[in-house]
Formats: sequence, structure tokens, C-alpha cells
Amino acid sequence: MGKFWSILFLLVPILGIALFFWAPSAGYWLPRDISTHGHQIDHLFNFILVLTGLVFAATEFCLFWFLWRYDAASNREPVKYTHGSHNLEVIWTILPAATLLFIAIYQMNAWADVKMRMPKDLPPTLEVTARQFEWRLRYPGPDGKLGTIDDIHHVNDMHIPFDEEVLVELKSMDVLHDLFLPHLRVKQDAVPGMTIPVWFRAKDVGTYDLVCAELCGWGHYKMKGRVTIETRAEYEKWLEQMAAAQSATQEPPKAEE
Amino acid sequence: MAIAADSHHLAGHDSHGHGHPPKLQYHPGLPISNGKLFMWLFLSTEIMFFAALIGVYIVIRFGAPVWPMTHEVHLSEPIGAFNTFVLICSSVSVVLALEAAKVNRADQAKMWIIVTLVLGSVFLGVKLYEYNAKFAHGIFPQYPRSRIYEKPDAYFGSAVRARATALLTKYKENPQDATKYADRISLLERLKAEAEAASADEHKLARLGAEIMPMPVDESAHASGLNDEYPWLKMPVVIPGGNMWASTYFLLTGFHALHVLVGLIVFGILAMKTLDVAWAGAIENIGLYWHFVDLVWIFLFPLLYLF
Amino acid sequence: MSSTTFGGHAHEAEHAHGHEHTASFLRTYVFSLDHKVIGLQFLFSTLLWFAVGGLLALAVRWQLAWPWSNMPLVGARLFAGEGGQISPEFYTMLFTMHASIMIFFVIIPILAGAFGNFLIPLMIGADDMAFPTLNMLSYWFMWPAFVCMIISFFVPGGAAAAGWTGYPPLSAVDSAAPASLTGQTYWLIGLIFVGISSMMGSVNYMTTIIQMRAPGMTMFRLPMTIWGMFITAILQAFALPVLTAALFMQLLDRVLHTGFFVPEGLIVNNATAGAGGGQPLLWQHLFWFYSHPAVYIMILPAMGMVSDMISCFARKPLFGYKPMVYSIAGIAGLGFIVWGHHMFMSGMNPALGMTFMVSTMMIALPSAIKTFNWLGTIWGGKLQFTTPMLFALSFVSMFIIGGLSGVFMAATPVDVFIHDTYFIVAHIHYVLFGGTAFGVFGGIYFWFPKMFGRMMNEFWGKIHFFLSFIFFNGTFYLMHILGAGGFPRRLADPYHYETFAHLLALNRFITICALGMGAAQIIFAANLIYSIFLGPRCGRNPWHANSLEWFAPSPPGHGNFDAQPIVYRGPYEYGSPEVEIDYYPQTQPPPEGAVALAPAH
Ligand code: HEA
Ligand code: HEA
Ligand code: CUA
Ligand SMILES: [Cu+2]
Repeated sequence: MGKFWSILFLLVPILGIALFFWAPSAGYWLPRDISTHGHQIDHLFNFILVLTGLVFAATEFCLFWFLWRYDAASNREPVKYTHGSHNLEVIWTILPAATLLFIAIYQMNAWADVKMRMPKDLPPTLEVTARQFEWRLRYPGPDGKLGTIDDIHHVNDMHIPFDEEVLVELKSMDVLHDLFLPHLRVKQDAVPGMTIPVWFRAKDVGTYDLVCAELCGWGHYKMKGRVTIETRAEYEKWLEQMAAAQSATQEPPKAEE
Repeated sequence: MAIAADSHHLAGHDSHGHGHPPKLQYHPGLPISNGKLFMWLFLSTEIMFFAALIGVYIVIRFGAPVWPMTHEVHLSEPIGAFNTFVLICSSVSVVLALEAAKVNRADQAKMWIIVTLVLGSVFLGVKLYEYNAKFAHGIFPQYPRSRIYEKPDAYFGSAVRARATALLTKYKENPQDATKYADRISLLERLKAEAEAASADEHKLARLGAEIMPMPVDESAHASGLNDEYPWLKMPVVIPGGNMWASTYFLLTGFHALHVLVGLIVFGILAMKTLDVAWAGAIENIGLYWHFVDLVWIFLFPLLYLF
Repeated sequence: MSSTTFGGHAHEAEHAHGHEHTASFLRTYVFSLDHKVIGLQFLFSTLLWFAVGGLLALAVRWQLAWPWSNMPLVGARLFAGEGGQISPEFYTMLFTMHASIMIFFVIIPILAGAFGNFLIPLMIGADDMAFPTLNMLSYWFMWPAFVCMIISFFVPGGAAAAGWTGYPPLSAVDSAAPASLTGQTYWLIGLIFVGISSMMGSVNYMTTIIQMRAPGMTMFRLPMTIWGMFITAILQAFALPVLTAALFMQLLDRVLHTGFFVPEGLIVNNATAGAGGGQPLLWQHLFWFYSHPAVYIMILPAMGMVSDMISCFARKPLFGYKPMVYSIAGIAGLGFIVWGHHMFMSGMNPALGMTFMVSTMMIALPSAIKTFNWLGTIWGGKLQFTTPMLFALSFVSMFIIGGLSGVFMAATPVDVFIHDTYFIVAHIHYVLFGGTAFGVFGGIYFWFPKMFGRMMNEFWGKIHFFLSFIFFNGTFYLMHILGAGGFPRRLADPYHYETFAHLLALNRFITICALGMGAAQIIFAANLIYSIFLGPRCGRNPWHANSLEWFAPSPPGHGNFDAQPIVYRGPYEYGSPEVEIDYYPQTQPPPEGAVALAPAH
């Protein structure tokens, strides 16, 4: 019976690792990265995946081997009567410590890029105000300034210029929300009473999902937006259309519940 | 009260051999009674509890754009200081009670316990008085009871108008009131008119607010306005940062007062016993608790009254 | 001196309790002061809650596999309003209550309450807890909490629906979450009671372990289980008051409309809400200051129990006893300075995030040490594959997975992508279910003989293990893949996003496995109940284990021991050369002449 259980535990690393080889090929993997900073995140993900994968394989295989080898039913030699080994303890304290410290330092730069090194004196492209359960977008109007009467208001359908540093001022009107752009590797909570800067640069055009990733009430699941990345020209054309449409009806678009 | 009960047993019983099951021998880690160890551990959790509360106070206070001066919210240092003194005395009297109990002077011990009880009650009484003063000025921790407005804005103006109209209708209901309250009515009419005139003008509204409840110019005096002159008026008041102040003030002092109350209940129970040496353990443990409550207040007083 | 004073308690317990035959039913089984009875009360209450929490989880799974479709059997009855479907409000409520119940009513009380109560006095050689009355209260303070949680399901608007993390303003402003008007308030009150109960327990445990150890039972002769319980008690004592304070403040925000966690000028449903001036992030800091240590509160005792089982069934001393103790202490210590790793995306200062990242990385270290020592323990032993052993081994195996996924999230840039995705959900369940819950199952199979004087059925136990193990991995391993796909948690229907639509197939598979796992637990329930009454009787020490509880009768009578236990050695002397038999109870005097060689550790 011991052998049977050993095999069961052997299946854990085998299937576990096999699955991570199968998944990407089957199309279950990180969504295509279309941001300029994303590769750092994806690289770290894969790096840690490989590293922990090795640890995982090693430890789980040891577990299996000891189970297989030292099954009382088949193991003839006497029990190794020992209370531990000082040297081993030192080794397996130092090694993981070093590994972990390395990961810690190795990632700092990426983190700084994503959340700390805000591009200098870059005017906000737009202001996003989250609200149960929609995304209110506010673009500077013809005067090119935010917070003036000619601002362009829009809901849920975000447009941003291609291959330009985009700065979003993230706010919330009511509860916590989270601006999640899977393909742009962007995630940031929107906190009422705070204005949080979010910046990124898209390196491909197209239309993608904008997800709310922080529980914000019963409608959390349907707080869906779209982000369209387009060339400067298209982007400006769109802005003009919006401006025109708005001056036609001087009302900012009402939110549909 | 399990504390008291158990520690009483500690002090009270001695080991009687039991045939079955055998009375077990132990190898205790610390040379103190369980009751005392319990009390120390319990107090360490209490420290964390108040640490959290005080932490919240500090975070919110220094996160807030404005924070009222003690006089704007009618806190009086002398009263606070007096209460601090009372509580310190009560700590001393517990110690005396313990000393008396140790030498088996039950009557004296009881006397000191009662002194502590009285001092504690005085503290609570003064707290109640202070709370009342706050309520009288419309300072409540809770909406919509609170009459505090952060700034003299249109909301404040309309609130004044609303209050005035409400009172007016009340007084004008039947004629004899109308004649009796003629002066009140005229005052209300005036306030209402001013509020309307001010509409959204911050300066006018600020002046109105100052008339209802003036901001003390310097730390010295507590300037009195219409609300103090006419207790029945109960007009909305302008206290920048007043709401969060109220929330935190009542939170901290409230939980402290609760702890005092618990202490008093225990002293009440003790006061009914004959506090001979058998009770020394119990008294010591409650004493520890009482010193802690005292200590917390010694942190709260400067935090809330002086800074 | 104090060794005498304990007589007081034994004595008090005696009177309160009376002698077995004369004692009234109430005194013996309901308001009992006996730590064993209280432990069992905790055990059964928590197992029942486990069923409830699990069934809620199954409802969650149903929605994720067949969104907006009639739920078979129960659907029509439960949500007649929505024509047998789960409504989005109800879904939020489902996972909120699922987690709240599993964490606060199952895992924490089953470890500290059930096993802590039952095992601590037995394993240290005491006749009861230091404060039996307090101990009983700590159980009965759970009941107001139970009641609050139950009625919260039936109040208008339903139970709490702000996630088990109860983040304000959503949780603090009624109008923000129509799905939980009074429900959230009941949730808060319930948790406050749970907190008070845990406080009583933890202070009691600490006193008992420090003061009431049998002669010769030095701190470094304590079984790992006791170390786990002891450190956990310390964590509880220092972290819980902070949560209690936070809970009170949120309660005030809700009922008195103070503004601790509600910022200025909030506009909810087009209406300004509450006082304002507070800070939403403040709650998160306070909550995680408790709830991160809480996750270790939820695993340290299990780690201890697993260490005991592994050493016993490997018939070999625990590898590196002291490193094991120190690493538990290390986890506890570091556990207090890593809470920010739940808030990387919360708007907290990113520089602060970086420091929390470093401390979080470091906390993986003690866990590493423990893992390797477990492996070292089974190395070169004579392994007996009993049901408890299998569960203990699966604890190690699953904890490795759950822990390693923790390292992904600790890496702040990676967390940008996987935060609030199913990667987190996978992590949660690998550490909490694959880790703690499996450890608990093992513990039940292991100490059942001591609890009831009978054995549980090995065959069905192994079936239960096999099915649970397979279905557990089937359910939760794939969630890593979902997480890698960015699949967000807490979404009633993620499939209307084109990014996630293709993940439906995986979710169907997961749900089927989850149902299987539920079924497997029924086997366990049946085995448990059957064995209590009809299991084969067993002697004092069916597993040939060393620690003190096996020196007492099974089940131990009132006062636990029929002879004074005296401790001569550590609890892990298996296969010692000093004696012929392969185990060497702590209480057995060294053979004549043999120089009692002090254990190497
Ligand atoms: C028992 C419960 C438990 C345990 C033990 C842990 C253990 C750990 N957890 Fe987990 N965690 C939770 C329960 C737990 N967690 C829960 C419930 C949540 C979700 C809360 C919510 O939002 O709802 C959570 C969330 C959570 C987050 C937040 C994710 C997010 O919301 O974005 C993070 C981030 O750092 C994290 C990290 C860790 C780490 C680093 C460990 C470490 O302690 C793990 C250490 C163990 C190992 C690393 C494996 C064994 C070691 C080796 C095999 C040696 C070699 C290893 C290396 C060299 C890498 N956890
Ligand atoms: C100890 C903790 C614990 C345990 C055991 C479980 C168990 C399970 N959890 Fe849980 N889960 C959490 C803790 C736990 N979970 C937490 C903290 C969250 C986060 C919530 C949040 O986001 O706020 C979460 C969230 C969570 C989600 C994400 C929801 C979402 O974000 O939208 C999902 C989805 O699949 C899920 C599924 C499951 C399943 C299928 C089980 C199954 O394994 C359950 C199987 C068990 C049973 C079905 C029990 C059946 C029992 C019997 C029939 C009899 C029992 C025996 C006796 C009575 C003697 N859980
Ligand atoms: Cu907005 Cu979730
Ligand atoms: Cu954590």
C-alpha cells in the first residue's frame, strides 16, 4: 500500500508541472502584453515560476522518494536515530534566505517603474472617476486643460493614443473600485478621497477590456469598460467628435443604471 | 469577573489532597499566581486595544486638513486636569487597600476600597458633565444628531434657516405663546432673515456662525454666543474639523469610561466582602487593572486636552 | 508556591462538576467546565459550520460553472424571486459568508478551540485549564456569534456582502451595499463576539502552558502541537484587540454614522453620505494588522499537530526540534510586519509597499525551515501509512504549493497582475484547505481514540483521504491557471469580458471536482459519527506514541490522569537505542543503570 500512496504523492509534482506546460499551449495564459512596462512583470512572473517550480519539483520529489524508500513494509534497515543536523539547518536556512533576498532585490526596479517613477511634468491625459457601477471619463477639452467647463465627459469607453505616455488621474465617487487593464498590466485601486496617478504606454492598437477588480457592491461583476488604443490622428478625431456631440447637448452623458 | 473569581480561589484555597483523581504536581514557569499572570497577559491585550484606538486618533488627526482647538469644542483643561488628579488618587487608595488587606485589616481595606469606588464615581460623574456640555453645544459623535458644520457654506445657511423656521412655527402655533415668546420670535426672525440674506456668501455666513457660536480668539476665554445665551436656541454651529474630532473624542474617552465602569463594578462587589488577607490576591489583581485604566487616562488627557 | 494553588482549580472544577454519576446532564455535557468536553463542543460546532461554509462554496461554484442558470434541487426554493437563479447580490453574499464562516467559525475555533482545549492540558500533564470557568465562557461566547451569523441570513437584504475583508466605504455606508443593510451589522457584532471568545481562550492557554506543566516538562520538552498553540495564543493576544477596535469603529460608522472610515464628500447613489473626514485605508491597515497574523494563527497549530503525527508514524525523532520551535516563533514575529502585502494595489505609498515586500519575502524563510525539517523527519524512518499520516503528509505537500504561490504575490510587480485574481484564491485554499484543513482531518483521525476511546475506520478514512486529495487538487490547482489568465475573483459572472470568456470550460471542471470534494466529506461525517458509537475500542496508546496524552486513559476521566505524570525526556524519542521497543514515552523512567542521555536537541 505504501508504494501506492508514494505514487499518489509523486503525481503532485508531475501533473503539477505538466499542467503549467500544457496551459500556455492550450491558450490558458497571461493575456497578450501590449504595454511597454509589462514585459518586466511577465518576466518576473516567469522567473519566479521557474524558480519556485524547481523548489517545488525538488521538495515534492524528495517527499515522494522518502515515502517510497522508507515505507515500513519494505524498508529493512533500522531507523536513523537522529535529532537533526546543525550543518543541514544552516545550509537550508542560508540557501532560501539568499534566494528570497535575491528575488526581493531583483524586482525592486520593476516596481519602481510601475508605481513610483512617475513621468515628470506630464499633463494628465484623462481623469477616471469610478462610481457604482461605471467608469466616468473626463478628457481636457479644446483648451487642453482638465477641470474646465469645456471638459469632455464620457462613460466606460476609454480612448487613449497609441505609443504615448498616458497619465490617468484615478478617483472614486463612492466606494473602492479597481482599474484593471489586463492587457496593459495595469491595476490600481480607486479610493474615495484620493487622487491616484496611473501611467502606462501602449505599444499596440486595438480595443481591450477594462475590468473593475475590487469588490464594489452587487454590480461589481458588470462594472465593465473598454479601452481603445488608436493613433494620435484617430484619437484627436474622436475627441473632436465627443466635443461636438457634447456642445450639441450641453449635458454630460447621464449614467445608465 | 472570572478573573476576580479565579484569583480569589488562588488566594482562597489551599491544596486538599484528593483521593481520586490524584492532585497533580506542576512545574510552574513563573513564581507568580495564575491570577496575576492572567491579569498581566490580559492587560497586554488591553494595551494593544488602546494602542489601536490612539493610533487611529493620531492618524485621523494628522490626516485631517483642519483640527479644532480645545476651546472651539468647549474642552476645559482644568476639568480634565482635575479628573486626572482624581484618578491618580484612586490608584493610591487601591494600593492602601491592598496594604491593609495584606496585614489582615479587613475594615481598613474595605474603607480604602470604598474610597476608590467614590473617586472612580467622581471621575465618571465629571465625564458625564463634560459630555453634557458637548451635547449642549450640539457636539454629538453621531449624525444626524450632530449640529456641527465643517464650514460656513450654503448647507450651514439653510440649516440655520430650517432650525429658525421650525422654532417659529412652534412658537406661533397659538396666540398666547406668540405674545409670551415675542422676544424669542423677533430673534428668530432676525436670524432667519440674516441666513436668507447671506444665501451662499461665505463671509456673511461666517459672521452669522460667529454670532451663534463665536470661535475663541485666543486660548484664554470661552467666548459665549447666542447658543450659550439662549439654551433653547440650539442652532447649527460651525466647527472646522469638528465632526472627526467628536468621533475620535467620544471613541477614546468612551472606551476608557467603560473600563472605569467595569472597575467600579468590581470594587462594588469587593466592598461587600470582608477583605481579609485571603482577598489580598484579588485586590492586587484588580489594582493592576485599575492602575492600567489610570495609565491610559494619563495618555489620553494630554492627547485630547493639551495638544 | 503556586504549584499548591492549582489545587484551587482542580478543587473548584471538582465541585462545579460533581462526580461523573451524580453530575447533572447540564453540568456534564452543556455547561461543563471540563476542558475535554469544551474541546468536543468546539469540535462539533465547527464541523457543522464547516458543512455550512462548504455548501455555500458549492453554491459559489455552481454560479461560476453555470452562470444565471437554475440551481438544481435547492434553486427553486432558495431564490424563487429570481426564478431559481442566483442573483448578483446573493453571489456577493455567498462568498462573503463562505469565507467568514470558514475562517472565523471553522478554522480558527477548530484549531485553538477544539484541539487547543482538548490537547493542551493532556499534553502538558495538567488536570484542566488554569481557569475552567473562563474556558467554558470562551465557548459560550461563540454562541451569540453563531446566532448573529444565522439571523443575518434572514434579515432584509440578506447577510454581509462586502467580502470577508469588509472594506469600507462599501461596508460602512448602508446605501452603498443594498445587499447588506443590517447583515453587515450582524456580521460585525458576530465577529466581536468571536474575538472576545478567542481572547479568553488565548490568555487562558498561555497561563496554562506557562504554569501547569508536569514535573520535568521543560519548555523544550513540549510537543510541537503545544508550541504551535502557545505561539498562536500569543499572536491572538496581541493582534486580535486591534481587530476588535476596528470592528467597533466600523460598527459606529454604521449605526451612529461616525466617519472613521468614510471619507469627506462621499456621493453614493447620487446622495451625499454620512459624516466623512475619515480614511478608508485606515481600516485596511487595522484589518490586516490582525488578519495577516491571523493566517498564521490558522496554520501554526496545524503545523504543530502535523509535526507530531509525522514523527510518530515515521517512528523517528522529529528532525531539528529547536529549529522547528524557533521558526514558529520567527513566523509569529515577522507576521506582525508584513500586513501591507495585502495592500500593494490599495493606494498605499508604493515605497511602503516595497518595505512590506521585503519583510514578506523574509517570512517565507521560517516556513522553508519547517518544510525541510519535515522532509528530514521522514528521511530514514519506517513510515506507517495510516490515515492521519497520509493527511499529515498531504499537509506538507499542499503547503509547499500554497506557500510558493505566496512568493508570486509577495513580488510586488507580479502582484500588480495577479492581485484579486484566482491566483489568490488558489493560494488561499492551498494553505487553508490543503494545509490547515488536511492537518485538522489528520488530527481528528489521530486523536479520535483519545477523544472517544474508539478507533475511526481506517479503510473509509483512506477512501476519504484519497477522494479529498484528488478532488482538492482538481478543484484548486487549476485556479493558478485561471489567475495567470487574469480571471478576477469576487465576480458573479466574469464571462461577459472577452478576456475571460474562454475560461468557462476550466471552471466547469473545477466545479465538478468541488462537488466531488463535498461528497468526500460526507464519507468523513459518516465515519466520524459511526465510529463514535460503534468503532472498535482501543487502549491508552493505540499509535505507540510518546507524548503525555497517551499516558492517560482513553477517554481520560475527570482530572485526566490516574497517576502523576513525570517527564523524563522530549516527546520524539522514537527508535531510541536506550530501549528495545521503538518508542519511549515521556513518562517512562530510564532503565536501571542506563545513563539518561540528554536528547541531542
Ligand atoms: C494559512 C493561511 C496562509 C498562509 C500560511 C499564508 C502564507 C503566505 N502568504 Fe498568504 N494569504 C492567505 C493565507 C495564508 N497565506 C489568505 C487567506 C490570503 C487572501 C486574503 C484575501 O485577500 O482574501 C492571502 C493573501 C496573500 C497575499 C496578498 C495577495 C493579494 O491580495 O494580492 C500575499 C502577498 O504577499 C501573501 C503572501 C504569503 C506568503 C509569502 C506566505 C508565506 O508564509 C509562505 C511561505 C511558504 C513557502 C515559501 C513554501 C515552503 C518553503 C519552501 C519549499 C522553501 C523554498 C522556497 C523558496 C526559496 C521560495 N498571501
Ligand atoms: C478555511 C478556509 C476555506 C475553506 C475550507 C474553503 C473551501 C472551499 N472554497 Fe473557499 N474561500 C476562502 C476560504 C476557504 N474556502 C476564503 C478566505 C475566500 C475569499 C473570500 C473573499 O473573496 O472574500 C474563499 C473564496 C472562495 C472562492 C472565490 C469566490 C470569489 O472570489 O468569487 C471560491 C470559488 O471557487 C471558493 C471555493 C471553495 C470550495 C469549492 C471549497 C470546498 O473545498 C469546500 C468543500 C467542503 C464541503 C463541501 C463541506 C461539505 C461537508 C459536509 C457535507 C459534511 C461535513 C462534515 C460534518 C458535518 C461532520 N472559495
Ligand atoms: Cu467597481 Cu468593482
Ligand atoms: Cu498576509
